[in-house]
Amino acid sequence: MLVEGLKKVLYEAVIEGDPEKALRYAEELLTAGVDVRQVISEVLAPAMRVVGEMYERGEYFIADLIASAEAFKQVLDNVLKPRLSSGAVGRGVVAVFGTVRGDIHELGKNIAKALFEAEGFEVIDLGVDVPPERFAEVVESRKARVVGLSALMTTTMIEQAKVIEELERRGLREGVIVVAGGAPVTEDWVRKIGADVCGDDAFKALKKVKELLGVV
Amino acid sequence: MMPKPTLTTISRDEALEIHSRALDLLSRVGVRFEDIGVAKILLDAGATRADDRVLVPEEMVNEALKNAPKKIDFYDRDGKKVATLGDGALIFNPGSAAIKILDYGATEPRTPTLEDLKNLVVVVENLEFIDAQSTALVPDDTPIEIRDAVRLYPILRYSRKPVITGAFTVENLPVMLEMLKVVREDAWRRPFTIFDACPSPPLSWSKVTSRNVIDLAKAGIPSEIVSMPGLGATAPVTIVGAAILHHAEVLSGIVLAQMVSKGAPVIYGGSPALMHLRYGTPLIVAPESLLVSLIYRDLARFLELPSHTYMGLSDSKLVDYQAGAEEAYSALAAALAGFDVVSGPGMLEFESVQSLEKLVLDNEVCGLVKRVSRGFGISAEEIAIEVIEETLLRKGGNFLLHPHTRRYLRREVHVPRVWDATPRSRWGMRSVYDEAHTTVTKLLKEGSYHELSPDVLAELNKVYERLWKRAASEPKYV
Repeated sequence: MLVEGLKKVLYEAVIEGDPEKALRYAEELLTAGVDVRQVISEVLAPAMRVVGEMYERGEYFIADLIASAEAFKQVLDNVLKPRLSSGAVGRGVVAVFGTVRGDIHELGKNIAKALFEAEGFEVIDLGVDVPPERFAEVVESRKARVVGLSALMTTTMIEQAKVIEELERRGLREGVIVVAGGAPVTEDWVRKIGADVCGDDAFKALKKVKELLGVV
Repeated sequence: MMPKPTLTTISRDEALEIHSRALDLLSRVGVRFEDIGVAKILLDAGATRADDRVLVPEEMVNEALKNAPKKIDFYDRDGKKVATLGDGALIFNPGSAAIKILDYGATEPRTPTLEDLKNLVVVVENLEFIDAQSTALVPDDTPIEIRDAVRLYPILRYSRKPVITGAFTVENLPVMLEMLKVVREDAWRRPFTIFDACPSPPLSWSKVTSRNVIDLAKAGIPSEIVSMPGLGATAPVTIVGAAILHHAEVLSGIVLAQMVSKGAPVIYGGSPALMHLRYGTPLIVAPESLLVSLIYRDLARFLELPSHTYMGLSDSKLVDYQAGAEEAYSALAAALAGFDVVSGPGMLEFESVQSLEKLVLDNEVCGLVKRVSRGFGISAEEIAIEVIEETLLRKGGNFLLHPHTRRYLRREVHVPRVWDATPRSRWGMRSVYDEAHTTVTKLLKEGSYHELSPDVLAELNKVYERLWKRAASEPKYV
């Protein structure tokens, strides 16, 4: 099958929530020489976006969302992650990732987690619907250098600012790079709330974090 | 075979008892026909006269019941079969012939126009659980002498759903039948319309409706004999007494149809109403009215006849709590009792007012009710023992993750569209009435409909023009 055809069937397998097919086609895509990043940004992320839209339109239900997320996760964990150039630049650096309070979308966070881990970061995943206090506690206890705050909805973005306030309140803000991530996040928003890195794109965010850490 | 909830009210013995009493009434008290010509049909066939009443002997009724079809295949406008009446088809359709329409937010209903009827047709065309159209509004901006027939036009033109209708005149029925015939040549062999014909309680028939029964029988178009006993006014206040009178009236209609044409398709219908003890208003969804309907549903089953009722409506004046409660409890009762045709959705205020918003909300009720009455499957896959075992022992007890859930959820679970089930964070402080209005607006703007092909429409327009000429008017098109 040609590369474009393979991309299409992988895209459909993720939307249909069929992990077996998704794993097979992802393997074939890599064998055909397609870059891991391309698989994520051109196939997996758009497929998951469509799944989200189908849910919003009422065509997909929770069980469908979960099946697609499972297909996505299996491809990421079993096919893509092992192929990411296992860099060592992040070795020894702890990064705390989570989706902010009131938000249960974790696609973007999981992509970022996979990329950071591939670069050698030790990623602590707090999951979804994480309150500001929890972010701050773990940053403190694990001496994290990076904290990633994911929010998919414009209504929950404000929580990113609250996490920063909490970090400041505990005197932790100076020691940590704050990544404000998620589809609705803009550079303007990042400036406004006083975060360091705009994470509207996980690859871009990783690059910026590495620059700030001086490890590029 | 799927287990499903069913509602029966009387035993076979009780049905037989009521049936015998009704036969006795017909043979001793008899029926009054306003039209002497109609009375003559029965008298010629062996009935006897007592003053102005026709005494119908038991044998005549038995003969008619033998000839009446037990099942009627029912089609849509375009010839696709939609149901078999007699199998508990549960065809919901808007309560018909409202003389007023209640606009969104209004407290006073207004007289409807032909344009309003067209809008109603478009809304109904897009409502999944309202299975048929009806001539639901009486358009005030059309000449009174042709109003019954005019109502068919926007339906035939824009909708392919089957139609429940009726005539208010003797003269216009043939025109209505002609309209059907130009829309589909075999509209009579594969019917997509049902015409209501109502006796005038107690036990009498007006000229118009009895003539309608005759003309429909001759044409072979299904007629629905809709008896309307008024408990405490035109019928006994006791439920069983009203049911006996109701039964006798419907039997008289069936006899008339079968005397004219053996095997004429007839539906055992009704719209019992309790006269309110203080206000004298006719309550269609009072519990007593509903009980009469449930009794005659079992009588129709006893006689193996297709059945109809007026339920799934409300006597409230607003689209409010009362409207929703009366709608839902009567629609569910009708569904579980296994009626074939249920007229009512959209209707308010003693069968006189239609509301588009209520139609949208009633569609939700019809969906819920259809889901309940469908029951559930009991195949090995649905019993799901292996799934339970696997999920508990190897999948951490979460059925959401098991493929079985995705495989069955769409066929097993009915998901309401307008009903509110959101978590508070997604709610937006909107009432279902507001949601219904949004839906109505959207359907009127973007809803799909199935217009007749240009050549068929041209033929329909010719008949329509002739109809208007009879009223010395220029045809109004919508």
